[in-house]
Amino acid sequence: MSWTIDEWFVVALARTIRPAETVFHGFGSPCAQVAMHVARRTHAPDITLVEGAMYAINPDPPFIPPTSNDASLKRGAAYSMRFEEFFDAAIRGDVDRMFLSGGQIDGYGNTNVTAIGPAGHPKVKLGGGGGGCNLSATIGQLTVWTTRHRSGRTLVAECDFITDMGHRTRLGTRAELGFTGGGPQWLVTELGIFDYPDGQARLVQLFPDVSAADVRAATGFGLRAAGDLRPVPPPSVAELAAVRTVDPLGVRRSEFSAKELTRTFAHHEGQACAC
Amino acid sequence: MSLQPPRDKRASLADAVSLVADGATVALGGGLSARLPMALVRELLRQGRRGLHLVGSAHSIDVDLLVAAGAVRRLEESYVGFEQDLGLAPAYRRAAEEGTIEVAESCCATILAQLRAAEMGLPFLPVRGVRGSDIIRLHPEYAEITCPFTGETLVAVPALRPDVALLHAPAGDRYGNLHLEQPYVLDERFASASAMVVATVDELVSTEDVTAAGVTIPAHLVAAVTEVPYGAHPSSCYPRYAYDRAHLREYVSAAQSGPDDLEKYLATYVGGSEQDYRLAVGASRLAALATWSTSTPAWQEIFS
Repeated sequence: MSWTIDEWFVVALARTIRPAETVFHGFGSPCAQVAMHVARRTHAPDITLVEGAMYAINPDPPFIPPTSNDASLKRGAAYSMRFEEFFDAAIRGDVDRMFLSGGQIDGYGNTNVTAIGPAGHPKVKLGGGGGGCNLSATIGQLTVWTTRHRSGRTLVAECDFITDMGHRTRLGTRAELGFTGGGPQWLVTELGIFDYPDGQARLVQLFPDVSAADVRAATGFGLRAAGDLRPVPPPSVAELAAVRTVDPLGVRRSEFSAKELTRTFAHHEGQACAC
Repeated sequence: MSLQPPRDKRASLADAVSLVADGATVALGGGLSARLPMALVRELLRQGRRGLHLVGSAHSIDVDLLVAAGAVRRLEESYVGFEQDLGLAPAYRRAAEEGTIEVAESCCATILAQLRAAEMGLPFLPVRGVRGSDIIRLHPEYAEITCPFTGETLVAVPALRPDVALLHAPAGDRYGNLHLEQPYVLDERFASASAMVVATVDELVSTEDVTAAGVTIPAHLVAAVTEVPYGAHPSSCYPRYAYDRAHLREYVSAAQSGPDDLEKYLATYVGGSEQDYRLAVGASRLAALATWSTSTPAWQEIFS
């Protein structure tokens, strides 16, 4: 059995979803999108999956298209929420988890999807945050992710602009700001996985072809690592099959650089893990 | 303002778009790759509209084309781009970086609250979140308030009443009753919050037919309706046609490479009439976008 980094990454995202959660991903997020369907087909069949910009409830798309509001994404759903039904649910606290990414992510899990450089005259104007600056305050838990950790430009000491709020912004903590949601719980990157004990990112798992030194070199905030730093557990046969069935067009791969996509792993029978 | 009286609202595309003044605050319907009012956008460009203030949630080629043509002064959108697939919006990005447009980036739920305030005739509504985000720095008009009942600090955002909402629907009748398929995005909210709605439909149908399909936007909110087949192209308008990914790629590549290629795109696709537009895209390509319902492989093939 062999698999590629995009498949393993999606499985790692899927495992952050707990049974019976109500889960949402924003637009332009194919890895998170595929991960939600993988979770629903494996360890968490009873989630309420709200499909991106369609707001369809538990659809069974025939494939994941390259855009987040194609009608294929509401196939099999008995109901699609209105835009306002979804945002109302999220703001009153009925959505348990959202996947969130950013061009910049700091150690508190604040994310920047607005602009690199000064906001008035940005060096790079990014697309914008969609609903994040409201939702990141009220949704139960956030799974933050990036596929561009190795660039060295993504995990930064300080975001040039905070679009969506993590555990602590320049104005204070979530409690001080009166936020009702719990904030970032996991940060999944193509190098490893972080949790947030006490509100700051801590490396807890590494992909087996990555060293802690690699992660330190690519991370702009001071790297903290767990004492029992472990390898990311390999995907199961069922999880890999789910990734491939859900996303036959490989739309998830568009989030990775060509170089990352060459990372291939194998698991041989009789061995615990020969990744 | 009173509701629109029941009358035949059919208008030419040119007359419908002439209801949008230079400098108007314009809400664009649909979102991302779905049901963007593209025929109305192209007509705004033909008429050389200037100084527009665009408001909305997550948009793509509609906003980028208007910015590329110099029609926009200020934007309050929550996102402008082509998702992970085709990336940043070239003209929007360039104009923001050069400072030739004012970008008051906003957030979906904030815009929703502002539209609801306008619908209810209220001066503002409070929202959660936003505090701690630098988005608040782009909006000096927001104000922190203390809830008189709970003592919580919330952010008050002012009512947003666009001068005109531009919407596209797969079908509607001559009175302006419109049927939409999901996602409705903010179209319903735009329709009642805006001073006026101007709509295009792929097909004008009888009142019986639009009633049977289900009226999403009622005639009493609509000022003008124009039949434009493929009026949302290159975005989708289900159940009629899927979005044209290849055309979006052609646009993004032209807009990225600079003024010459962008001029060429505008001359080819905007210079003539909507009939010329359909000819330039090609009847066979348009027909292919309608084959999505025949099989899953056919649907996938459209996006290759």
